[in-house]
Amino acid sequence: MKRLINVTVNHKKYELAVDPNMTLADMIREELKLTGTKKGCGLGECGACTVLLDGKPVSSCLVLTLEADNRDVVTIEGVETEKGLHPIQQAFVEKGAIQCGFCTPGMVLSAKALLDENPHPDEHDIRKAISGNLCRCTGYQKIVEAVQSVSVRK
Amino acid sequence: MLIPHFNYHRPSTLKEACEIKGEFKNKAMFLAGGTDIIVNLKRGVISPEKLISLNGIEEMRLHSVDGKNGQTRIAACGTVSSLIKEKFLLPYSALITGMESLGSPLIRNMATIGGNLVTARPAADLSPSLIAYNGKAILTSISGKREVLMDDFFLGPGKTALNDDEILSEIILDNTSSYSGSAYIKLGTRKALEISLVNVAAFLTFEKPDGPITGARIVMGAVGPIPLRARTAEDMLIGERPGAALFAETGKAAAKDSSPIDDFRGTAEYRRDMVKVLTERALKKALNDIR
Repeated sequence: MKRLINVTVNHKKYELAVDPNMTLADMIREELKLTGTKKGCGLGECGACTVLLDGKPVSSCLVLTLEADNRDVVTIEGVETEKGLHPIQQAFVEKGAIQCGFCTPGMVLSAKALLDENPHPDEHDIRKAISGNLCRCTGYQKIVEAVQSVSVRK
Repeated sequence: MLIPHFNYHRPSTLKEACEIKGEFKNKAMFLAGGTDIIVNLKRGVISPEKLISLNGIEEMRLHSVDGKNGQTRIAACGTVSSLIKEKFLLPYSALITGMESLGSPLIRNMATIGGNLVTARPAADLSPSLIAYNGKAILTSISGKREVLMDDFFLGPGKTALNDDEILSEIILDNTSSYSGSAYIKLGTRKALEISLVNVAAFLTFEKPDGPITGARIVMGAVGPIPLRARTAEDMLIGERPGAALFAETGKAAAKDSSPIDDFRGTAEYRRDMVKVLTERALKKALNDIR
């Protein structure tokens, strides 16, 4: 049986009727059509489905949508500002930190959560923060450099 | 990957959660962080009729330090990432190290300390240190609470002392005495999202900063169906002054206390050898951790 929830996604409030067995990743992609959130392994191992739940990065494939009731969700679509790309996104473009792009939304959100908490992380902090996000193009070096460049700019 | 259908309950008190569990027993399962249960639902390993979400229960996340009784109470639904930051857990370095090596940041933001225990995986990151500290699990049901030593909590892979109508509501640790130190070392092939090949937690208590050792608990993970105490090794330490030679001998004894198996992640022989090395290192680290 469907249940009603209230959830804020990318600063917009939604009232949704959802099945208990629907994951947050599926709700975001199938109901809200926000396909920037990627589905990789579906088992919480790859980080492609990373979203910010109350500001903290989580694997949305392991969260039931009902658990997001009265909570705040930010997907990659919510990172952009009125001025255009978020500085982290801009840095990923400039530093060539995007190859196939599948891990990028998750990487950007994990990096954002890190920088929101710690504006000047060292390389170790950055590598630790993105350790749950796998990049199979193995472009980690440039991803780390991109995040570092944002922390220096700030 | 689809999740089978189930009925969803979201109680707002522990009492209410116990009532639902008491009524539906093994047909109902608790949902805390979900990092294990959702994976198992997707894989079709489990198919509960009811899921009881614990995430609307405030008291399941309220920790407390009781200075009078010298006890620290960790609420079972504390997430790993929130507990890492708790100042009151600072004296428990082995537990903190275990929490820092659990899963990945994405997993730690959801996974709970209680969840890590009730899943009872032989390679779990938090059970060895909680056993080393001689922690207690509080099991709650509609008929009341009972205390079970962490040492007696694990019965086998995925099996615990929890009855069908009970919930693990909190974990109690005795406050550490002065001149004690602890350490946890996890061996894996990568730094994140790794399941221990072997892990060892050690907790030492001393009469004075340089010894002799008055209390020693060594717990080895992933080398048996449940986390194992290295009892022969522990006995060797009592009454002795800490030192490199003693710790090396203790490591050898711990290896004999372990009972690892061969699997795709490593051979029994390798694991036994690593118990020796990790025990020696964990003891040295615990000695340096004296506070």
